[in-house]
Amino acid sequence: MDITDSIHHGRFGPFEIFHPVDQPLFKSTRDDSGYPGRLFVVEGIDGSGKSTQLSLLHKWLEAKGYGVVFSQWNSSPLVKDTTKLGKKKKLLTAGTFSLIHATDFADRTERSILPLLKAGAVVLCDRYIYTAFARDVARGMDRDWVRGLYGFAVKPTVAFYFRVPLETAISRLVTARDGFKFYEAGMDLGLSDDPTESFRLFQGRILEEYEKMIPEFGLNVIDATLPVEVQQSQVRQIAKRHLEKAKELRVRP
Amino acid sequence: MRQTYGKSLPGMKLNDLAGKLIVVEGTDGAGRTTQINLLKSWLEEMGHAVLDTGIARSTLAADGIHRAKEGNSLGRATHSLFYATDFIDRLEHEIVPALRAGFIVLTDRYIYSLMARASVRGMDSAWLRSMYSVALVPDAVFYLRIGIEDLISRVIFSSGFDYWESGMDVFPGKDMYESFRKYQVALLAEFERLSMEFNFDVIDGSADAKTVLIELQARILRLLGTDGRREYRSRAAGRPVAPIPFRIEKRPAASWQSTNDNELDALLYAAFVNAQTNVAASTFRALNKAR
Repeated sequence: MDITDSIHHGRFGPFEIFHPVDQPLFKSTRDDSGYPGRLFVVEGIDGSGKSTQLSLLHKWLEAKGYGVVFSQWNSSPLVKDTTKLGKKKKLLTAGTFSLIHATDFADRTERSILPLLKAGAVVLCDRYIYTAFARDVARGMDRDWVRGLYGFAVKPTVAFYFRVPLETAISRLVTARDGFKFYEAGMDLGLSDDPTESFRLFQGRILEEYEKMIPEFGLNVIDATLPVEVQQSQVRQIAKRHLEKAKELRVRP
Repeated sequence: MRQTYGKSLPGMKLNDLAGKLIVVEGTDGAGRTTQINLLKSWLEEMGHAVLDTGIARSTLAADGIHRAKEGNSLGRATHSLFYATDFIDRLEHEIVPALRAGFIVLTDRYIYSLMARASVRGMDSAWLRSMYSVALVPDAVFYLRIGIEDLISRVIFSSGFDYWESGMDVFPGKDMYESFRKYQVALLAEFERLSMEFNFDVIDGSADAKTVLIELQARILRLLGTDGRREYRSRAAGRPVAPIPFRIEKRPAASWQSTNDNELDALLYAAFVNAQTNVAASTFRALNKAR
């Protein structure tokens, strides 16, 4: 779905509910009804290859002359220390894990994603609200509660979901690095004492959540078992369709 | 059995929370902290174990919040969520374990202050209520109500003006006094609404500390005593806890025939808050014109 169709009517819009109190509500029912920018996000479990695909898309967009900005999950400088403290000292519960990530996401939305979209940039996000929906629900949080929590998020122009079987993803990861981190493997859930086994069980739950979200949010599924080049050409084709309609995009100076 | 406002956090058992959860709410300068300190020693003297807690005191998020407030780029959604993180950390790691151990938990502000401050900053009411639907319903909420004039004199002669307490982020003005006044009036109006929605036990906070304490003690004794407790429950039973989505209390549109400038101020900002829920947008516009 295109951002201009969905931004004020979509499930996650309008962000404009957060107008300052001295402005009338829903001022944003202006006729152009949307932000000039475009927002592309990639989703999928670890080892699905989504980050590789996003960086290739990034290169291509830059080469085409678009003003592109990239935003990484869990990267707000304001919230970083708190998340680090919580993870290091294992203070995080399902509830606070969910909230601290929402805080991080809010800071990035308010400080960069939203203003950039208003300014006409192409914004790329490695992981978006769907990551939170999948992980938090896998940790036992209420489905509707988590969706409500992210009610301020801007609905993406396209959300690419890189679908990969669990075993393929794990074999990619195991060869690439040694060991999993505590929260990454869902060790806080007590599913298994063995990090690799815990990771497998936790990611399995996450995968189930992603599958449910495909029809719910209209995620754009890319078969992540295909060669990298084939996936990338599919991604570019879809992105291109949404960029052609955008008249007010900013170009790189 | 203890209830939440509609949803519960994973792994949080509600059936064995034997203690009492007592909330003291109020704006800046309402005397909350003084009263909580007095109540704590009084309750401990009577032999009760007491835990006192309050906003931005969690192990997880307290430092992060303080650091974030030092900068100049804390957005309102981020602001609101950071405080919610702090609240949930204290709920899970302090309040619930203490209640389970039979403590009386005295909390210096609760979700209501957090909702009021976020509402005044323009956050969506339904969004806030959904987020805080995992909070425990307290046994009592004592709201120390003071007027704007008392509030101002109490704050300026104690802590002085602070950027966030003056709402400089939401009511930028020529000086801190102007912003402070507008912000606190908006908060007071929001507290009035919350008071009805969540059935606050209102206490006149403008009286001297001793009078307020005696009033609080009487109500707490009633809450702790078996008979008094039943009485309190039956009073509260008239209003079942609303599951989300919450209905926002619709206040009657404010009358603005008042000539007094201070009252007009108060009405204007009450209308501001109402305007957010689309209740009295027209009143708000009319008032604005009248000025």
